[in-house]
Amino acid sequence: MKILIIEDEKGLRESIEEYFTEAGNICETASNYQEAMSKVSLYSYDCILLDITLPGGNGIDILKYLKKNNNTDGVLIISAKNSLDDRLEGLDLGADDYLVKPFHLSELRARVTAIIRRKTFNGSNLLIFNEINIDLLAKAVKVNDQFIKLTRKEYALLLYFLANKGKVVSKNAIAEHLWGDGMDLANNFDFIYSHIKNLRKKLIEAGSNDYIQAAYGMGYKFTSP
Amino acid sequence: MKLLTRYNRVNLFTTVIVMLVTGIIYYQAISLILISQLEKDLVVEENEIFEYVSLNHHLPQVFKSNDQQITFTEAEPGSVKRGFINTIYHNYDNQKYAKRHHHRDDEEEFESGRGLITSVTVGSKYYKILIVVSTVEAEDLIKIIFGITAGVILLLFVTLFITNRLLLNRLWQPFYDLLRQLRFFNVTDNKDIPLEKTNIDEFEELNQAIIGMSTRVKSDYKELKSFTENASHELLTPIAVINSKLDTLIQTDSFSLQQSKLLSDLYSAVSKLTRLNQSLLLLVKIENRLLESNDHIDLKSHIEELLIQFEEIFLDKEIKVSSDLSEKELFTSTYLVDILLNNLLSNAIRHNYPGGEINIKLTSTSLVIQNTGALDELKQDQIFIRFHKSTESEGSGLGLTISRQICENLKFTLNYSYDRPYHTFTVGF
Repeated sequence: MKILIIEDEKGLRESIEEYFTEAGNICETASNYQEAMSKVSLYSYDCILLDITLPGGNGIDILKYLKKNNNTDGVLIISAKNSLDDRLEGLDLGADDYLVKPFHLSELRARVTAIIRRKTFNGSNLLIFNEINIDLLAKAVKVNDQFIKLTRKEYALLLYFLANKGKVVSKNAIAEHLWGDGMDLANNFDFIYSHIKNLRKKLIEAGSNDYIQAAYGMGYKFTSP
Repeated sequence: MKLLTRYNRVNLFTTVIVMLVTGIIYYQAISLILISQLEKDLVVEENEIFEYVSLNHHLPQVFKSNDQQITFTEAEPGSVKRGFINTIYHNYDNQKYAKRHHHRDDEEEFESGRGLITSVTVGSKYYKILIVVSTVEAEDLIKIIFGITAGVILLLFVTLFITNRLLLNRLWQPFYDLLRQLRFFNVTDNKDIPLEKTNIDEFEELNQAIIGMSTRVKSDYKELKSFTENASHELLTPIAVINSKLDTLIQTDSFSLQQSKLLSDLYSAVSKLTRLNQSLLLLVKIENRLLESNDHIDLKSHIEELLIQFEEIFLDKEIKVSSDLSEKELFTSTYLVDILLNNLLSNAIRHNYPGGEINIKLTSTSLVIQNTGALDELKQDQIFIRFHKSTESEGSGLGLTISRQICENLKFTLNYSYDRPYHTFTVGF
């Protein structure tokens, strides 16, 4: 997939670029309004990560430009502004999602993956990874053509891991993904542990490989053995 | 002590003193005048006796009368010294005297009198003369005059008291108005202190000073708030960078147990920092009333949903939750109500112990959240203060401040009470 990262903060931009760069992904970056405008008008991307406050202009104007030109690129707004109005304005203008800084890269990745999935697999709602087969519409999971019953959290967890294949995902990121940042009780990671344990058990019992591995006590990694 | 009371007290006290002093002087002056009048009468009588003696060469006939008595007694020549004396006047009431002649001595009425002792020589005999007049009438006069004076004083006293009261109350009205304004002064609301109409310069100045001060305070407060907002905002980007760098760091190679422990701690600290920052921003936004809307909220189902969300945590902490919810509709911001419920419930969980209880009761007038926890009562006046939290608390210390601010904005009340073993937070609609 092809991604454009429009973000003026160098540290953040580089981290995102590094996290997304892997086999099959192309990442481009823009650090200011002009650069961003020239890139979006010249090329097409699967997903554009758009910061609202940019040197030289406003990210919202870029979004407006994209929509005016019937550009079908997915747009995810990353902004420090966490107000409902900003969020609604962004989404009203046609952004696909809105993520508030600070965020975990794994969360960003999950969101971007979801956007691209929606954009590219038009009609098909199947997500297939080796022997795991997920019907995104029905939220049904099959392993080796055998349905397994997952709870809501386990299902969300599985999708999250699949979006971040091969990456170490921190417990904090998982907790925030599953419970939202409004819930600051997630410091207690025992919940996560039991959810992951259950998911893993269900997958293995259905004949799947053991993909989920604990990573040095601070996170988990979904990886092909 | 009220100014009016104090003023009245001083005023009345001095008035009384002055009145008393003048009363005494007045009394003395009048009695002096009247006595000297009586003495003149006595001298006139004395002269009459002298004239009579020099004409007739014998003592005049003595008549007992009601207003004066004259007695002559023989005395050693030259032994009498002329002078006025205060003496007793024997009042012989004529009728009484006639009736009760046989014991007239007992019937004598003694009155105070003024006497003149003088002497006369008739032929070879030397007589002492005592002329006595009753001072009763004079005293009566004094009494009447004094009574009238006292009456006037009393009247003055009462009028003074009443006028002071009315006048001062009215005069001080602008002051009390200002005081009320000050009492309702709130740096967070946009209402300014109005200019009270008064033609008293002092109050006018006071009013101006207060208006000036409140404007300054408000602008300072606004600046402080925008500083908080800007600072929190500016912090977001570096926090985002730290977060993303941490996420990137853990992708690199393997870590020792010690390193991963350090990383975990870093993650926790950053997420705490994030939440703290978000709470600060939220608080500023709520205070600025940027989050107000008018949504229809079915509070009962809202709480039920929330309880489902928290279910795992209840299970994990072995907390027994009982709820008694009746229908309640609200028309206000869903966002704020969510935060409020979330905060209160999170607190009830966080400060609970394994195997504890949480009771939730929703009625049409209030929402009561009770939880077991520490066996000490919390300090009502401190728990709502920013960053006040128990030492073992993992929270930001802003939860209850935010809750209270939300309640204030939504015109709800938020109160804490402790009824062993339950800590109770009550939201009154």
